[in-house]
Amino acid sequence: MKKESMFERFLNKKISRKRFVKLCGISAGSLVLNSALFKFAFGQEESSTGRVTKRIKGMHDLVVAKGEDPYIMTVKAVETMGGMRKFVKKNSAVLIKPNIGWDRSPEQAANTNPYVVGALVDMCFKAGAKRVNIFDRTCNDTKRCYENSGIEKIAREKSANVFSPDDWNVIKAKFNYESPMEGWPVYRDALECDTFINVPILKHHSLTGLTISMKNLMGICSGDRGMMHFDIGTKLAHLTDFIKPDLTVIDAYRVLTRNGPSGGNLEDVLDMKTIMVSPDPVLCDSYAANLMDRDPLSISYIEQAVKLNLGNADIAKADILTIKT
Amino acid sequence: MYPRQCINSFMKKLVLIRRFSQTLFLLLFIYILWLTTNTAVFFKIDPLVSIFSFSALTMLVLTFIAGRFFCGWICPLGAIIDICGIKAKSRDFGFRQVKYYILGFIVIFAFLGIQIAWIFDPLVITARFISLNFIPFFTIVLDKLFIFLIKSFNFYTPLYDFYRLLKSSILGVKIYYFQHSFITLSFFIIICGLVSITKRFWCRILCPLGAIYALIAKFSILRRHVDKCMHCMKCNVDCRMSAIKEDSSYRKEECILCMDCIYGCPDRATKFTWPAKKNLQSKFFLISRPTGREICKAKDSISRGDFLFLMASSFLLLGFKSMADGAKKRLIRPPGVTSEREFLNKCIRCGNCMKICPTNGLQPVIFEPSLAGIWTPHLIPEIGYCEYNCNLCGNVCPTGAIPKLNLAQKKEQKLGLAYIDKNICIPWSQNKECIVCEEHCPVPTKAIKTYDEVFEGKKIKKPYVDASLCVGCGICQNKCPTRPLRAIKVQP
Repeated sequence: MKKESMFERFLNKKISRKRFVKLCGISAGSLVLNSALFKFAFGQEESSTGRVTKRIKGMHDLVVAKGEDPYIMTVKAVETMGGMRKFVKKNSAVLIKPNIGWDRSPEQAANTNPYVVGALVDMCFKAGAKRVNIFDRTCNDTKRCYENSGIEKIAREKSANVFSPDDWNVIKAKFNYESPMEGWPVYRDALECDTFINVPILKHHSLTGLTISMKNLMGICSGDRGMMHFDIGTKLAHLTDFIKPDLTVIDAYRVLTRNGPSGGNLEDVLDMKTIMVSPDPVLCDSYAANLMDRDPLSISYIEQAVKLNLGNADIAKADILTIKT
Repeated sequence: MYPRQCINSFMKKLVLIRRFSQTLFLLLFIYILWLTTNTAVFFKIDPLVSIFSFSALTMLVLTFIAGRFFCGWICPLGAIIDICGIKAKSRDFGFRQVKYYILGFIVIFAFLGIQIAWIFDPLVITARFISLNFIPFFTIVLDKLFIFLIKSFNFYTPLYDFYRLLKSSILGVKIYYFQHSFITLSFFIIICGLVSITKRFWCRILCPLGAIYALIAKFSILRRHVDKCMHCMKCNVDCRMSAIKEDSSYRKEECILCMDCIYGCPDRATKFTWPAKKNLQSKFFLISRPTGREICKAKDSISRGDFLFLMASSFLLLGFKSMADGAKKRLIRPPGVTSEREFLNKCIRCGNCMKICPTNGLQPVIFEPSLAGIWTPHLIPEIGYCEYNCNLCGNVCPTGAIPKLNLAQKKEQKLGLAYIDKNICIPWSQNKECIVCEEHCPVPTKAIKTYDEVFEGKKIKKPYVDASLCVGCGICQNKCPTRPLRAIKVQP
């Protein structure tokens, strides 16, 4: 028999009614199966009402450390607060959420100081944490941000997990009260951790005035973040309520005073050499706002958080300890 | 003379070595493109792209010594075509002179100042296919497979960590997507599909790089030698280039040294040898030159008449020239490109810049400026912006179409200028807070400034663009939350 090429075989085959119906049936069936498979594989949605935590109190409401070395300042401040063992339990998973939003060097003060992050990773492992995750949703290209901020290198050396969040691995936010954040996708790693440590950098922000810890929580949100800017105060307050960070460490070692949040000019950077530690995000933010000569209640998210009773914004009433290293 | 057995047992292994070499170079090619760090290496040895580079001249000298070994042993497109054509038959039906016409067109256009080598250069075609089709397809399939496994079987700890390791190392965080990559794919499939007509159709009839090598290989020193042949015609039928004639002599310029004829020869009569020393002189100086008519009869090479026809017909195609001239700056080009005309002439459309761009913003053009601009890169800010701290596209460009700039120089390049549409912009049209564009602007002093306006007792910041500071990177357009039209747009 003469060998036919595939093309010839295709041409020579005659089509009958039976074959036609058969072909149609097969293609329709495979389409249905395919869509079912895709739904099964990629279409599952989960929702959650937020992290469940015991509000752990420290030895003081807020500890402020001043000094020269950011690593030592962080260690001393957390020790004064009662030590990392208070917040991190044995064999637990810890999430450290620094600000790695921009493709800038540490000197330009747009990202959290890498030594502060390094100190926290060390303390978590010393307290017996099983794994420490570090991630942020970046504004510039993820790889370049992680590299140039210096955080990836330091954290990897201390065997923490540094990764970029995946947009398919999210949980939808659910609230008991009416919220503009209803149904917003939040990365799973931010929710499924035993201890959440928020490590923002204090810097200027054009819309909200200042970027501090609550604004830093935007980095755990997936979805279209540009839409968050409308009514940003309420949204950030509700997000803080949803996450309930266990510990907030504000890095004000170098502070970007103008042209934030991305910066880039070394002249805009002010050396404040301060680090603040507190379990209460609202108090921490209020103190940082005061440090920058701003009335805390003039910043929209602090105002909304006070309305929701998430924490104490009155610095005069709080137990604040300042240490020098 | 050596005994036949002895020589041929080694020479039979040459086919295996050739296959190994082809595979090795194909994998190396993919590997280099995947990393996109040192891609210029491959284009440096390509005489069609860079005739005056040292390595290209070395290749030409090596071809003069050994023949068209590049086509059979190194060329990645040749390797892919060989894989596609394993089952295909080898038929000889002439038209071999077409590749010389194509080469002629490329040379004539080069003298006119128009570069069209990118249409038919095999290395460029393969590089474009691998960067724009193969790697994105491969990564997306792998990625979806991992997501499927992780999500449906809840492998959240061990497999997920491995997946993240892959993503942060070789897979890359971003899954690339290229507009109109379907056209690149179909172009490549057509070239590979031509093997259904005959083996190595492209290499025999169309490849201009093959034509350059063929012109030199005609005079190459290494030649095929047949000793006491029994005329079984096996090599004549099997030869993948149909280079072997019926009287067991061969067209030297068509032979790609694939070594099939040695492997298949039942009598072990074929071998490749260097000419003995005393024959060398006669080889070069005592060849009786064929007359013009004889060449015309030969059909496979190009005659004087053919050459005149080529010259005449190329002038008909001068329309191309006017098209290239007419291409004004209508697109956002990569940073550092100043003259559109010069860019079109230097760009070989290899796709390296699009592959390396960290935001995936560089995309291939199809017909936007004119036909002359096809497959050149342009920035689409809505897909990805130009990263302020990045000069990778200029660093990987093999021809310097995108100039190599250091970071400080790159930051001063203006790609375009951003304009705000106040009818769409949220603070301008609705008096709501937004200024996402101002937040993302990478210029240290912020090229987007804001007015303060009081609306219902609330201070609303309304953005405007400072034209002297704006570098046109497009991050504002990329991050602007309005859909489907963006309120801020970069114009070239």
